[in-house]
Amino acid sequence: MVSWEIIGAWIAAFIVIWIYSFAFRDNVFYKLAEHIFVGTAAGYSIALAIDSLNRVAIKSLITQPTVSWHYIIPIILGMLMFFKYSRKYYWLARYGVAINVAVGAALAVRTIPMANIIRQIQAALTPLWGSDPIKLVNNWLMFLITVGGLTYFLFTIFPPKPAPGRTSAIYTLYRALYLIGIYGMMVGFGALFANTIVTRVGFVISIYLIYLQPYIIATIIGVILAAIGILIEVRRRSK
Amino acid sequence: MSVINVIDRIFGSRYVLYLVLIIALIYPLIFPIGIPIQISSRTLAVYNYIQHLKPGCHVYMELYYEVAARGELEPNAIALIKQLFDKGCKIVFVSTMSTGPLIFSLLKSSAPDVFANKTYGVDYVFLGYVSGGEAAVASLAKSIKGTVTVDNYGNPVDKLSLLKEVDKATDFDLAIIVSSGTDTFNYYVRQWYTPYGTPLLFVALSVIAPSIEPFVSAKQAIGMLVGQRSAAEYELLVGRKGLGIASMDSQSLSHFVILIFIIVGNIVYWSKRLEAKKAKGGGR
Repeated sequence: MVSWEIIGAWIAAFIVIWIYSFAFRDNVFYKLAEHIFVGTAAGYSIALAIDSLNRVAIKSLITQPTVSWHYIIPIILGMLMFFKYSRKYYWLARYGVAINVAVGAALAVRTIPMANIIRQIQAALTPLWGSDPIKLVNNWLMFLITVGGLTYFLFTIFPPKPAPGRTSAIYTLYRALYLIGIYGMMVGFGALFANTIVTRVGFVISIYLIYLQPYIIATIIGVILAAIGILIEVRRRSK
Repeated sequence: MSVINVIDRIFGSRYVLYLVLIIALIYPLIFPIGIPIQISSRTLAVYNYIQHLKPGCHVYMELYYEVAARGELEPNAIALIKQLFDKGCKIVFVSTMSTGPLIFSLLKSSAPDVFANKTYGVDYVFLGYVSGGEAAVASLAKSIKGTVTVDNYGNPVDKLSLLKEVDKATDFDLAIIVSSGTDTFNYYVRQWYTPYGTPLLFVALSVIAPSIEPFVSAKQAIGMLVGQRSAAEYELLVGRKGLGIASMDSQSLSHFVILIFIIVGNIVYWSKRLEAKKAKGGGR
């Protein structure tokens, strides 16, 4: 018996294969999957946004108008944003945007100094001596890379470069920290890249386990269709 | 043609890389190798922290991820929910992402055993999608009932017994943020931890981990579970096999293949550079 769940699972398997087929070559099935995805995602988001507005504000306004009357203000501000499509009244949209930005900024600013600056500086101040050698190495690396990174982004004051044949202790220290900063950042970017690979591989594995392996026939048909799509694309380009 | 050129021709093609990678990914899923999984100290610390929460504690869980990130985040979330429910803790689920309702229904359908003996409204509640980003997060910290009037299914929040016990950030023993984005963690550190001191636990994608590590180092979060690796470890700890454990062999083998490609790529790159230098007549 074919149920809606099975049909949905088959469509999911097809779309996954067709989207991944882009890694080999652009093709008609990839384009179809892409358009279905964009359309569905946009429609779903709009429906959810309306549902959220309905649940949070409109229902309350209708059922408890004396309690929820103030919801009318954000609704009006939100509706003002649609005036950006009007040439004559586009300026009205700025009020909604301005209040939105102001509230967001005010909320963030009240805790940013403590959450994102002071606590981070405190955490960076690690002891540079102690009995645990591994911790000591870690702390020294943390200290040198932090100072090095800050030195690299120093754009205003530079120690003067010494004349040829002469040395300058300050300049040598500056260069050393500058290089530590560069290499520290490279290690950081390397770790970030490695983590990106881990995430992408994880996505593929989970997609295979959730959508492809349980519906292997759909997967095989999807692969065949993707291969046909790629062949059509190759022929079209060769003409 | 030199050996380096032959290797360059074979490995230089992205089709070869994709094909080898697909084989490395799928082979261990069909024929599991059984590479042993060691539990890291960080995962163990998170497990112990939750074990030391009082029975019947209240936990807040934000589900901020899209369907694509399910594989990395959902196994972690399920393992955590199992541990919390086993302890008799009560969970308030919420999502500030529009895909939240879909994600929650998928999460429940992936782990029917975990939710089996739990009553909606008493043991757990799903508030649904709450729009507004950081402003919504700040508002929820101040008062849940002041932010939403009904849950995801249209039930009035003041009629749900769990929400009679909790309303603001300080009422929760732990807030778990399961997110595929970096900003969400920032929001909770700024709006929940800093003003109210609610302990935070992060569940993040591997790619996000380096960006939020400073919060964990600064002790603004009690810990962090990252990707399928942490999920596998946590599944072992809570004794429920899931997607995390199932994917570990495949993860290990595919990473090994990528490492080989990186090493081969570097050897080819440096050899060709050396060859070009020699051909130019340099070679000093």
